[in-house]
Amino acid sequence: MAALRQIAFYGKGGIGKSTTSQNTLASMSHYFDKNIMIVGCDPKADSTRLILHEKAQNTILQLAAEMGTVEDLELEDALKPGAGIFAPEAPGGWINCTESGGPEPGVGCAGRGVITAINFLEEEGAYEEEGLDFVSYDVLGDVVCGGFAMPIREGKAQEIYIVMSGEMMAMYAANNISKGILKYANTGGVRLAGLICNARMTDFEYDLACALAEDLGTHMIHFVPRNNIVQRAEIRRMTVVEYSPKSDQALEYKELARKIILNDYKIIPTPLEMDDLEELIMKFGLDLEADEDNIGKGEAEA
Amino acid sequence: MFILGFHFPADMGNKIADEKVVEKLDAADIDVSGVNEIKMVMEEHGQVQELSYTNKDTFMFKALTHYIQTAETKYLIYTNRYQIAELSKRLDSDDETMALCKKFDSMAHFTVIAA
Repeated sequence: MAALRQIAFYGKGGIGKSTTSQNTLASMSHYFDKNIMIVGCDPKADSTRLILHEKAQNTILQLAAEMGTVEDLELEDALKPGAGIFAPEAPGGWINCTESGGPEPGVGCAGRGVITAINFLEEEGAYEEEGLDFVSYDVLGDVVCGGFAMPIREGKAQEIYIVMSGEMMAMYAANNISKGILKYANTGGVRLAGLICNARMTDFEYDLACALAEDLGTHMIHFVPRNNIVQRAEIRRMTVVEYSPKSDQALEYKELARKIILNDYKIIPTPLEMDDLEELIMKFGLDLEADEDNIGKGEAEA
Repeated sequence: MFILGFHFPADMGNKIADEKVVEKLDAADIDVSGVNEIKMVMEEHGQVQELSYTNKDTFMFKALTHYIQTAETKYLIYTNRYQIAELSKRLDSDDETMALCKKFDSMAHFTVIAA
């Protein structure tokens, strides 16, 4: 039996991490028969909704609050089998889902939910489930918060995929996450396994993503184009893989899934300084509008 | 590393020499003899353009033929397309191929078939 692989999807908020991760994991399960446990590590608890066909799963923190303490919680209350083609009885692989959850907005530390959830899952034996091939963490933000760095810090996630785009802030976040990986690479053994460009279809996006990947010492494992079918599937609370398995976009996710399964390129990243990052963007001509003389001038004026 | 869908082991690093990709393509034993033309449909912002590519002596022709013969559908995966163009710009030089590379660099959707 192959060893359990623990992977994580990190990236800037709003970049499409949850959509990308669920569609990719769905492909790994459906096309390649992999058995997966998804651990959603985002307070908005949307890392599993497309696999479960639900609005939002009850989170471990919510359930613990209802029961009184996390010790009163049972694994089957918090870990739900996927719906449709991802159910244990369906052909191919299966997917189990759990969400850590978080406090009310403005109250407490969201990272605490991640720590509580992982400890609970470990104590309840969720990682020892028969046939489990992958555990996947879907993690918010850019690891400035130590709580969100938990899957990396504690050596849980071994291979990190950063979801990014050709936009400045997404690249900034990718670089920042790489700094987080670098910090814990020697103690926990975590490695950067690649960038996934969830395309915004901006100028030079493929080139920028590849250049950033090369500078970080990694590879841009796949460029996922923008396609409205993703939104159409999401309205039905489904992944594209399930909604339209023969569509072009499903084929893109299938190829990304194949690459992740085969991927052996896992490195300690070499993050860039901010000036180097800006220089990288300038190299691809995105600074044409940023000439000193044009600052504060509109398109017609400049 | 993955280039044109081929897997290159981690010990080769993240900068794969062009000749290594060509080696993989040659090893894939693609038969281009029966293919005289590659037909493409390029779609962007609702505009549809039909393209024909016939230069058989290029990396571009071989890479596209390989894609057509191994892919599940006519849809050309974006990553593969960008990588084909990137390599072709270094390995080919004729005007027809360079014009196609420029089209491949766009955000357009492509389908390809052999004729």
